[in-house]
Amino acid sequence: MSESQQLIKTEPPKGTSLWKDGFRRLRRRRLAMLCLGVLTLYFLLAGFIYLAEFFDWRIGPTLWAEQAGQSYAPPSSKNIFGTDIFGQSVLRKTLYGTKISITVALCASLISIVIGVPLGAVAGYFRGFVDEIIVWIYSTLSSVPYILLILAFAVVLRDKTFFGYKLTGITAVYLAIGLTSWVGICRLIRGEVIKHKDREYIVAAISYGCSRRRIIFGHLLPNVFHLVIIDFSLRFVAFIHAEVILSFLGLGEAERPSWGAMINDARIELSRGVWWQMAAATVAIFFLSLALNIFGDALRDSLDPKLRIQ
Amino acid sequence: MVNTNNYLLKVDGLRTYFPIKKGLLRRTAGYVKAVDGVSFGIEKGQTLGLVGESGCGKTTVARSIVRLVPATAGKVLFEQRDILSADKVELRRLRSQISLIFQDPYGSLNPRMTIGNIVGEPLKVHKRVTGSELTERVMVLLLKVGLSPDYMNRYAHEFSGGQRQRIGIARALTLKPKLIICDEPVSALDVSIQSQILNLLKDLQEEFGLTFLFIAHDLAVVEFFCNIVAVMYMGRIVEQATAQELYRNPLHPYTRALISAVPELDRPRQSRRTTLGGEVPSVLNRSPQSGVPPTGCPYQARCPRRQSDCLEQIPALKRGGNTSDEHFVACWRY
Repeated sequence: MSESQQLIKTEPPKGTSLWKDGFRRLRRRRLAMLCLGVLTLYFLLAGFIYLAEFFDWRIGPTLWAEQAGQSYAPPSSKNIFGTDIFGQSVLRKTLYGTKISITVALCASLISIVIGVPLGAVAGYFRGFVDEIIVWIYSTLSSVPYILLILAFAVVLRDKTFFGYKLTGITAVYLAIGLTSWVGICRLIRGEVIKHKDREYIVAAISYGCSRRRIIFGHLLPNVFHLVIIDFSLRFVAFIHAEVILSFLGLGEAERPSWGAMINDARIELSRGVWWQMAAATVAIFFLSLALNIFGDALRDSLDPKLRIQ
Repeated sequence: MVNTNNYLLKVDGLRTYFPIKKGLLRRTAGYVKAVDGVSFGIEKGQTLGLVGESGCGKTTVARSIVRLVPATAGKVLFEQRDILSADKVELRRLRSQISLIFQDPYGSLNPRMTIGNIVGEPLKVHKRVTGSELTERVMVLLLKVGLSPDYMNRYAHEFSGGQRQRIGIARALTLKPKLIICDEPVSALDVSIQSQILNLLKDLQEEFGLTFLFIAHDLAVVEFFCNIVAVMYMGRIVEQATAQELYRNPLHPYTRALISAVPELDRPRQSRRTTLGGEVPSVLNRSPQSGVPPTGCPYQARCPRRQSDCLEQIPALKRGGNTSDEHFVACWRY
């Protein structure tokens, strides 16, 4: 760099934040990056299906309702995963199911973050009476078996009308999952906030007159937020499974194909030797779960400062 | 005694008790008397050192003064105004004139914020300046504590302990405070860095006319840095004098033990070093079993000069010694 250029430079050089540092470490893990690629494919597919439906493109997964062959045609070069009872292509149904799964898991995550994170932060920061109420609520919720609780919520919410909006199919599913699974993140954030709030940098912030809001949202949450991301990369799988279970039990999406509904169909089909619908849904779930798990672990290893030993 | 109006900070009978809650109904079973009647005053531009071993209540005194910990009783007068009874607005204003420097340079800086934001935040909170003026002020502050303004966009984990402590000092200076409470600012640093930081603090004191309340457990540091030294033991001040007087003529047996424990290069190995026996008794259990009966001098269990009157009443801080200097001691032997 020449001298004149150095003089022009006015902006001080950027430092590496803990986020940047973490992501740099993450990029060095090949397997995690491979999994991220797989996840990106799933997400792109879901996004593509939304676009295709919006613009009415008649292509691949949006044509799932069309008849692609005979009823129960086995896998062939024409239909890689065969057809179901109505002769619909199992491949198209599986691809379409991606949209349902990703939508449910994303919306459920957002709902539980929006509920769990502020509640946990408030409980951990204020302690006392507020804390006891919040802890009581989540302890009560978590004492009910998870699937039973989701089922109860799904049954209650199904086909109800709120503010003129009818809760059909997957809306009821992700509401049920979101409203029941904020407990984990709430507990986690509460614990971390309790740990951080007596650290000297918080004491310093109080000493120069920061408001409570600034301390919670400006100082405490940025220091615990990496846990939210880590937690949800791991919990995402559970949400996808919950959607599958609900659909399997007949409480999920009824009109459009989802992986759970496909496995539900397979109950009758398997006794006739029709295995392909089951296989297709399972393979789709398997790769998504595996990629999420490996990526989530890598994310935790690289973002959590406590695990940073290298 | 000096006219009270000269004091920038006057602490009067400060008591901070922490309740111990027990049982299902969380009834208060007793108190930890962390600070039990501490009084002192600091004149403008002076430095008062507060020394004592770990757990004697030094940090609690510091935090009670700015109400980071609620005090149980007493008065803290800052420029004649009582901090402990101030309302929210008044407290905010008073806190902007008193700032703290912390012991742990690793824990006292927010790891997710850049140095520029850490140093500038007090100004943002008090809405004094914004934008490019704020950046300029932060740069000047960084230069003042001996750091390059180029470090503005870096994060705390990219610095060494000494540099971080400089950042902490810059943050303490941001609001142009009148009083700075230094809570063991150098005890977490290497000896070579300690002197740099102490010299920096001295220079800043001269430049800005700062007043320091300096907490430490290292007597050598205190002797170098402070005008007046107060020695604390179990939540009380047991001796207070000017630094030279205290070192030349320590009165309280505890102070003597502390001073004889300071290693010196030019002093021949001597046999008359007083070593402290036993441990600091628990503040919680003032019972005959723990070595500290409910009555009497808190130091009696470890004191070589104990007599029967020490067991009966707690000695008050009173004038001692025979020099012209102000010298106060809480001991029945004087």
